Amino acid sequence: MADHVLRKDQLEISLHNEKKLIKEGTIKDDNPLDLSEPFRELCDACRKGDLKVCQEKITEGVNINARDPYDYTPLILASLCGHYEVAQLLLESGALCERDTFQGERCLYNALNDRIRNLLLEYDYSKSTDPLQPLAAHISSLLTRDHPGTSDIVVTAEEESLYLHKFILTARSPYFRNKLSIAPDTSTWKLPSTIPPQAFNAAIKYLYFGEAPRDLRSGPGTGFTESEVFAGIDRIAQHLEIQGLVDSILESGDRRLARQRRAIELAKGRDQLEEWFRTNIIHHKIVMETSNADDIKWSRDNPIFADVLLQADELPDDTETLQQASGTNTGSGERAQKSVLFPCHRAMLLRSEFFHTMFASSFREAHLQEHLHIINVDCSPDVLEIILKFLYTERADFPLDIAVDVLFAADMLFIEKLKTKAAVVISTLGSGNMSQAEAAKTRGTKEEDDLDIYAIIRAAWMTRVQRLEEFAARYLAYRLESHIDSPEFAELIQESASRIQGRQETDSIELLDDIRFYLGERFRLRFDDAGLEEMMDGEPQQQANQIETADGDIEKTIQGVEAIDLAEQNHGEQLEHGHSAEKSQKTPEHGSAIRTLNGELVMDEFDQDEMNYQILMDKLDNILEGLNLEA
Amino acid sequence: MAMRARQKIRAPRRGVNTNKAHDFDTYWDALSSSLKKIHTKDASHLSFEQLYRNAYNIVLMTRGDDLYERVKRLEQEWLETEVRNRVNSAISSVLLQTKDLSEMQDQANERRETGEKFLDVLREVWEDHQVCMGMITDVLMYMDRVILSDHKKPSIYVASMALFRDFVLRAVARSDSELKVIDVLESTILFMIQLERSGQIINRQLIRHCIYMLEGLYETITEEESSKLYLAVFEPAFLDTSRAFYRAEGQRLLETGDAATFCKAASDRIAEEAERCLSTLSPLSEPKIKEVLDTELISKNIADVINLEGTGVKYMLDNDRLDVLRNVYVLSARVDTKKTPLTAAVQKRIVEMGQDINKAAIALAQAAPAKPEKPAGGEKKPAAKEKPVNQQTESAIKWVDDVLNLKNKFDKIWEQSFQSDPNMQSAITTSFSQFINSNARSSEYLSLFFDENLKKGIKGKTESEVDALLDNGITLLRYVRDKDLFEAYYKKHLSRRLLMKRSVSNDTERQMISKMKMEVGNQFTQRLEAMFRDMTISEDLTAGYKEHIQKSTSPDEKHPDLEINVLTSTMWPMETMSSLKGDSAQLSCTFPKEIEHVKQSFEQFYLSKHTGRKLSWQPSMGTADIRATFHRSTGKVSRHELNVSTYAMIILLLFNDVAPGESLTYEEIQAQTRIPDHDLIRNLQSLAVAPKTRVLKKDPMSKDVKPTDRFFFNNDFQSAYMKVRIGVVSGSSNKVENQDQRKQTEKRMNDERGASIEAAIVRIMKQRKTLIHSNLMSEVLSQLSSRFVPDVNMIKRRIESLIDREYLERVEEDPPTYGYVA
Repeated sequence: MADHVLRKDQLEISLHNEKKLIKEGTIKDDNPLDLSEPFRELCDACRKGDLKVCQEKITEGVNINARDPYDYTPLILASLCGHYEVAQLLLESGALCERDTFQGERCLYNALNDRIRNLLLEYDYSKSTDPLQPLAAHISSLLTRDHPGTSDIVVTAEEESLYLHKFILTARSPYFRNKLSIAPDTSTWKLPSTIPPQAFNAAIKYLYFGEAPRDLRSGPGTGFTESEVFAGIDRIAQHLEIQGLVDSILESGDRRLARQRRAIELAKGRDQLEEWFRTNIIHHKIVMETSNADDIKWSRDNPIFADVLLQADELPDDTETLQQASGTNTGSGERAQKSVLFPCHRAMLLRSEFFHTMFASSFREAHLQEHLHIINVDCSPDVLEIILKFLYTERADFPLDIAVDVLFAADMLFIEKLKTKAAVVISTLGSGNMSQAEAAKTRGTKEEDDLDIYAIIRAAWMTRVQRLEEFAARYLAYRLESHIDSPEFAELIQESASRIQGRQETDSIELLDDIRFYLGERFRLRFDDAGLEEMMDGEPQQQANQIETADGDIEKTIQGVEAIDLAEQNHGEQLEHGHSAEKSQKTPEHGSAIRTLNGELVMDEFDQDEMNYQILMDKLDNILEGLNLEA
Repeated sequence: MAMRARQKIRAPRRGVNTNKAHDFDTYWDALSSSLKKIHTKDASHLSFEQLYRNAYNIVLMTRGDDLYERVKRLEQEWLETEVRNRVNSAISSVLLQTKDLSEMQDQANERRETGEKFLDVLREVWEDHQVCMGMITDVLMYMDRVILSDHKKPSIYVASMALFRDFVLRAVARSDSELKVIDVLESTILFMIQLERSGQIINRQLIRHCIYMLEGLYETITEEESSKLYLAVFEPAFLDTSRAFYRAEGQRLLETGDAATFCKAASDRIAEEAERCLSTLSPLSEPKIKEVLDTELISKNIADVINLEGTGVKYMLDNDRLDVLRNVYVLSARVDTKKTPLTAAVQKRIVEMGQDINKAAIALAQAAPAKPEKPAGGEKKPAAKEKPVNQQTESAIKWVDDVLNLKNKFDKIWEQSFQSDPNMQSAITTSFSQFINSNARSSEYLSLFFDENLKKGIKGKTESEVDALLDNGITLLRYVRDKDLFEAYYKKHLSRRLLMKRSVSNDTERQMISKMKMEVGNQFTQRLEAMFRDMTISEDLTAGYKEHIQKSTSPDEKHPDLEINVLTSTMWPMETMSSLKGDSAQLSCTFPKEIEHVKQSFEQFYLSKHTGRKLSWQPSMGTADIRATFHRSTGKVSRHELNVSTYAMIILLLFNDVAPGESLTYEEIQAQTRIPDHDLIRNLQSLAVAPKTRVLKKDPMSKDVKPTDRFFFNNDFQSAYMKVRIGVVSGSSNKVENQDQRKQTEKRMNDERGASIEAAIVRIMKQRKTLIHSNLMSEVLSQLSSRFVPDVNMIKRRIESLIDREYLERVEEDPPTYGYVA
């Protein structure tokens, strides 16, 4: 087993070797030095565990694999400071933690606890791969998939036939683009016999995002020598204007080099697809009135080789009519409803299990007809566009305001990755735990208002996203005082209980258990932070240290404030002290303010926390009683 | 900012159910009518998207469970009405009879026809159900996912398969019958299989499809492999009927009384059942039906088949029915790795045949001496006397040939029929060695066989043929238990070959030795090799002596040439070589002057090279070439070169000093030569009695030589050849020993064995110091086994003797233990 962490001296040797190789130019530096301001902000966020900023910076396009002047990468920082969620986000976004590299080993070596270490090991390159890999794997699989059939051009080379897709060929090769724009209805193509079929095969594999072949299938029995095949590949690469092919074959020897090469190739390929998606599919989308949508006739021979039309209807504001909206002509009473039609390719839609089943079934949609089928997709055009973009390019950048819609649509269409992505967007942009809540406060925004947490949690239940349920529970726990008395909260608890009863498990209410858990975490957090602070003292990173310290202080203050807020609700007579505490927040000397507060009300801050905790727990019990639930 | 933020996250637009509850029925109505259309194969115009959306919406309003149950109910209704009616109408009353197949021969055709119809309907219904459920599952995939995430219910597909099992297969076949559809299905398929077993063609594809159905359905909802209906319901029934069938089949075949037929039929059945499992039933059943065949058809009958009178293994072996034997072997090997009955039968037959060969050899050897009794007396006697001896030798060689033929026969059988099975090989070897060793003369016969071949047999044969011949002999040697006895005979025969120069090729002799060395070991051939060494040394010695004579004497002087073989007495079988009885001390005969001179000169020469050695001369073993001049009465002089034995030479040289016409009496000759009586008589016989080599004349002309006989030099000796070879009567060629000789050989053998045993005992005890009696016995036996199998009593006697001589002592009585006395 290779999951033993290397010794320190071994680490240093490997660092030295790696530096040397990079200097010689043999390998590319995975972690280039980055002194830009956005990167510095990302690093800071990783130290603090500020998920929101991390997510924002990642979306902005900061290189998450870069390193700061002290050779720290964001992943190392997150793992060193013990921010599990941040580390997870980084890894999901493509941060490298590869065994056998210095930085990778260093992450493992520095991991604060076993939980993080195991997370890192899970994401080792051998298991997870380039984030573009799923897309690449799908496109490669199109070459061998024969049901449902999606091919629209057949290339024959000797006795072998390749069933290909015009839109991939045009997107990936300028040669084919020209060729097919002249004669878009070509459906067969014969390979000149001068090109070895092996070479053409290799080229096609390359166009379809395949790994570079290790073996050129030459030698005895194939009729071509290796050099002939290679020459053929060289020729065909020039012909099809895909120079990357030759390089990728030449560099397939070294594992790391090959990986880097492949990452570049995949990114390039993805960009080509994206470009194609933008200039063709988005360009050709049709906006029209829903009632006329059925009249749209697209022939099979269209310039962008689409073989199916997807229709999404604009939402009227009235939710009442939503269910019928996707039908033909209901709900278009006073003002005409708009619909958008996207010309698409089954080959790419197959990435969704929904479409795969549809096209593989024997229902109407699977039969090919003269005109393209129009298939309704029950979501808004914006969402459908996001979904299509994801299916074609693996890109999933969308704003928070439609994240829930994307979540539902992805759930309906069985696109797990996009669903996860939507859940990530919601659970990171909507702040989760205290430190973020309060980080938000320091930024001067009030995020609690942005988010309808009740809607989120219901969405989580309906789409069965565990991560989102946890997020919502955490969210509620950290702001429990502002929700606990609202009737909506009680209703939610009731709902959660009924969900469970539906499953015939009467002994626990999941949501409540989660809230209690995070409540415990919230009040324990202070000790953890205090401990962390001491550890950070030894760090040379003065800046970070200061921020941490400041953070800690502010946090204490705020908890004080909250305690008072609660006290205010519970015990009227403590109102005054609450005010005084609020004032004290603004005084520069935090320490003395707390002391004053403590002196008046409780023995020390621990007692204060305990009291608050107790109050909240009692309230939860009260709710249960009120709802006649046992838990 | 706050205002914008407020819109950031919206409630999911298809919020919770509340106001949508009444829509459930709308969705369900649309959905259920579509599902029915799917069943009536009217689905191609249905939109997947619409159906999916209906189901999706129902699930979103948390009515997924209701949907699940409704679909189940819909399916159940469909199966209970439409499908069941179709199936039931295909069941005719013939199919409902589950009576024994043999009792309803008359109805077979009808049953078969309706059975096929029934299976066809069932297959069709099943395949329809699968296809429809596939489509329905596709439509309901969202529901399935939600339902499955709880792990409480099986997927709708699995559930619908269970419905099919319960409401179609487990439904009562007809209102007037207790039987269920699955029972009818089972009995129908079994009926078809029986039809096929009785040689009719059936629709395999159809049955295979019905089996697919049984394989696709499970007893339990969790669908474990073992709960497949095929395994749980059909297969046991199938195996039961098969068992009964093959039990009867085995009896029937056995009653026909022909082993070959049985084996053929059994092999065919095995292939047939394997084929059936692959093409008609399920490959899963193959090992099980194989087992049924093995126990019912083979195990229970194979021993009887092998021992069948007239057609069993005995008959096959006798008639080289290799193919049938192979069948027998293959069948036996299936059920028993040891193949006990077959091995026993083969072994028995080998021993029988071997005993026949032994008997034939003895009969031939005994029949021979009876013959010469008839032509009684007269001059013919010496010639006639040769005959029985040759015949005995012939019988020995015939024995070896027969054994080798038998061996070849069984080698071929082993290789071709028994697939070179090592167990069979060792069984065959055991049997061979059993009958070979039961013939007391096998060692001698074998040695004679070699002798014969090395003298004559290999003339004109290629190297590889010779090699094969010797190898065959060596193979037999492997079986011979008393190798020391063989060694004794071989030595004797070899010494004759060497001294008489009868060997065809020295190379072949050496090849033979090296083969024996490989087969039996170094120790065994040591002495034989020493014999060869003596021969080469002697050649050098002769040459050296010649040179010596040339140097030391003037070339004018005439010397008889001497060719000498100096033999190491311990290595050569002296006792058997000299014709004298061992006990009477051998007096050296008086050599003529010239010869005596040469003898002394050589002794001088030899002893000057090797001091401290004693040379004793063996005139009985030597030969001499002499040039004889015959003065014919006509006045002519004719010369012949005579090749005679040393004794004969001495006798003839006496006549040099006798005047023509004068004679010497027997007594005179004996007095002058001191040749032992026995040898003298024989030599005189060959010189004076043998018709073609009558160099001497005898008076009176009788066959026997009496002390008073007178001998004349026969100047009228006639011969067509210049060179004349005068053999000594008897004793010069190797042949089977007579009873006396045998006894002697045995006695010598026993003495030698005694010595070997004692040596072995002492070797062992010296190493172990003390040893329990039984352990000592077994060690001795194992040490000596390569040479011979010692007699246990002899070992005991030797131990006693060693104790008497104080090599060993008794250390303890219980258990008896010996100690070594240093």
